[in-house]
Amino acid sequence: MEAKKLNVKEKYRLLTRDLDWEFSYEDRKEAFPYEEFEGIKITDWSKWEDPFRLTMDAYWKYQAEKEKKLYAIYDAFAQNNGHLNVSDARYVNALKIFLTAISPAEYAAHNGFAFTGRQLGGIGARIAAQMQSIDELRHIQTQIHAMSHYNKHFEGFDEFSHMHDRVWYLSVPKSFFDDARSSGPFEYIVAISFAFEYVLTNLLFVPFMSGAAYNGDMATVTFGFSAQSDEARHMTLGLEIIKFLLEQHEDNVPIVQKWIDKWLWRGYRLLSVVAMMMDYMLPQKFMSWKEAWELYFEDAGGALFRDLERYGIKMPACAELIAKEKDHLSHQTWWTFYTFGHAAAFHTWTPSAEEMDWLSEKYPDSFDKWYRPRFEMAAELAEKGERFYSEGLPQLCQTCQIPMFYTECGDDRPDDTCYRSTHYQGERFHFCSDHCKDIFEDEPEKYVHAWLPVHQIFQGNCGGADLADVMKYYKLNDGAVNADYMGSSDEQRWKALKGIA
Amino acid sequence: MYEVTIEPTGEVIEVEEGQTILAAALRQGVWLPFACGHGTCATCKCTLLDGYVEHGDASPFALMDMEREEGKLLACCATPECDLVIEANIDVDPDFKGHLVEDYRATVSALEPLSPTILEVTLDLDRPMAFQAGQYINLALPGVEGTRAFSIANPPSQAEQVVLHIRRVPGGAGTGYIHETLKQGDTLDLSGPYGQFFVRTSDSQDVIFIAGGSGLSSPESMVVDLLESGDTRKIYLFQGARNVAELYHADKLRALADANENFHYIPALNEPADDDNWEGFTGFVHEAAIDFFDGKFSGHKAYLCGPPPMIDAAITALIRGRLFENDIHMEKFLTAADGKNEITRSALFKRI
Repeated sequence: MEAKKLNVKEKYRLLTRDLDWEFSYEDRKEAFPYEEFEGIKITDWSKWEDPFRLTMDAYWKYQAEKEKKLYAIYDAFAQNNGHLNVSDARYVNALKIFLTAISPAEYAAHNGFAFTGRQLGGIGARIAAQMQSIDELRHIQTQIHAMSHYNKHFEGFDEFSHMHDRVWYLSVPKSFFDDARSSGPFEYIVAISFAFEYVLTNLLFVPFMSGAAYNGDMATVTFGFSAQSDEARHMTLGLEIIKFLLEQHEDNVPIVQKWIDKWLWRGYRLLSVVAMMMDYMLPQKFMSWKEAWELYFEDAGGALFRDLERYGIKMPACAELIAKEKDHLSHQTWWTFYTFGHAAAFHTWTPSAEEMDWLSEKYPDSFDKWYRPRFEMAAELAEKGERFYSEGLPQLCQTCQIPMFYTECGDDRPDDTCYRSTHYQGERFHFCSDHCKDIFEDEPEKYVHAWLPVHQIFQGNCGGADLADVMKYYKLNDGAVNADYMGSSDEQRWKALKGIA
Repeated sequence: MYEVTIEPTGEVIEVEEGQTILAAALRQGVWLPFACGHGTCATCKCTLLDGYVEHGDASPFALMDMEREEGKLLACCATPECDLVIEANIDVDPDFKGHLVEDYRATVSALEPLSPTILEVTLDLDRPMAFQAGQYINLALPGVEGTRAFSIANPPSQAEQVVLHIRRVPGGAGTGYIHETLKQGDTLDLSGPYGQFFVRTSDSQDVIFIAGGSGLSSPESMVVDLLESGDTRKIYLFQGARNVAELYHADKLRALADANENFHYIPALNEPADDDNWEGFTGFVHEAAIDFFDGKFSGHKAYLCGPPPMIDAAITALIRGRLFENDIHMEKFLTAADGKNEITRSALFKRI
């Protein structure tokens, strides 16, 4: 008789059996102390369907091969002075944002998955989280190496790690991951694996990688592909965890719903910077933020939430507001950075006449009416030598830590700034939106002590009261890394390299 | 057009020139693992056992050179260059018997109207066919392009025949031919058995069948097969139809319920006629199931067979009642026209 053919699942089970152990003399609850405190009920870990079926041996073999390939391309890029092939030096500012905001977040993700990889009670979920933890470490390393070539030629890269922990707008991604990492293991994995990696990942990676491809940056394109090849496991983990939690116990449904509501909103706010990058920073644009949101969230995410509906999970209420904000998000964000560009670690500029026409075409309902006049006036002032910078410091949202520049789009009043506030233990806290306020009110203790950069400056914790003092504290080379691209050392260097007068 | 055999289940799909394996599989109701759909994430990586493919836009990181040499492919990018055998990361059901698909010649031995829209066609085969209750055959019809899939309504114990319940699809070429032109004594070519819709007996869970319209065919075969084998688990059959005229085989099933203590038959009519004097459940068939089980389904196995809207409503009802994908099996009755519409679907569910 022919031997029964083993499928991949059975082979994997036979290869990896007994990786877990029985708790014969220790209390299992003490080994996994965080498994119950979030209110999640797991009745049977054996129902976890391992989505990867990858052995450690194969994992290292594949990852090593990816590294070999990637670093060969990096070497070629450096030897051929690949930075000269980018569309324009303004593009490099998108990379500065990536390295200071996103790469340290990869490290935070590594840290978070190490925690979940220890704390989840099921062996399949633990191994998956452990592998992802190692992936995230690989991602930050390969990103630093990809950017190191640009660091030789442009300002603003060298102190990315120091900056991530201090600079005002970088507290946004930092606090996002701090929030996730200080959650329990189930909320962390729903936040990062599901809401971020599965639902929103295409809105982060595709813009940066396609942006790189359109603008001639082969090093970034290559690390993007390399990182995305790990996404198979990350995305599948996100889907499996959601199904598993929803099927394990009906009491999990409202908890998971709350987490999805929270983390879709938190993730979306984080993507504000991607929206502005797509619409304003890429010299060669490939798609507008609005188009990307419609394609990757409204279409693809819509199908997902239609399926989740069967479990009783509803599309988060914030999706409605996001749909209304999509006409405004990138313009408001770029305007904010433009006016605070003297305190940022990258350059800002007004869009050219052709770029404004592109924006009019992509945003027929909003750009000409609300934003073109503003940027035209800013360009006029700059022309006269009166480049506009905001003198004050903005109020930050207590939850997302983004300056409160968003407007009442939900109420169709895009010219009114949106302010929300609440009282907690005799103090007043401020928010950019109803959703950030709701998140705070659900767990106020988690946010009351948030390290808000503007508050910290006022409290004298950031080197002093002047811009120059604060820049020093941030390790930002004042006059080189910040302010307008026009007249910057980056611009001069680029022109010299390309032989442009 | 190439034939691609997907191991370890042995399912066969037809892939058009230039079409990716994944696109063809999903359109033909065969699930393969996938996520990004454009060659970067590697979720859909398969092993090529026989044949040649063009790798298309597969990223060199998602499908590395050494993997290409080892015969790996990404189903979302790979297009066949000949007939293929591939192995995908999918599970074989322990209850799947894997009867070989073969070609048969059949003679029409009886044609009997079951309802105003459904015709029962009995075909005598040139030799017995081994199949599992619930599976289907592909029937070739003279002058009709392609084949048409129909579920087998008789139990496997009657291996020398296939009985089909065929609803007339308005404007449909295949079912139009069967209802209007086909006559007793005609010979037809068919192949089978196909499909992953069959009764799982390796567990002891009670079973719920939900059938709509001519989708009674498979459940009828499955119920009879279970009862013939002396299975003692509880069996519930919910049959949905518009009115009494469309509710075919009701007497036969009531008699079966009277004769077997473990079999329960619950018909539901959603638009009973005034002169039907209907005293049974009025509403859609999934509502009858919710009503009967008080909305709680966990601990059962469910088998759904019928038109897509019925299947969709039943799946939602079952999941809301905490019976999940692993315990739900289904056969969706798509028409030749349905198959042409690309459906945007998420990767959340594998089979449903």
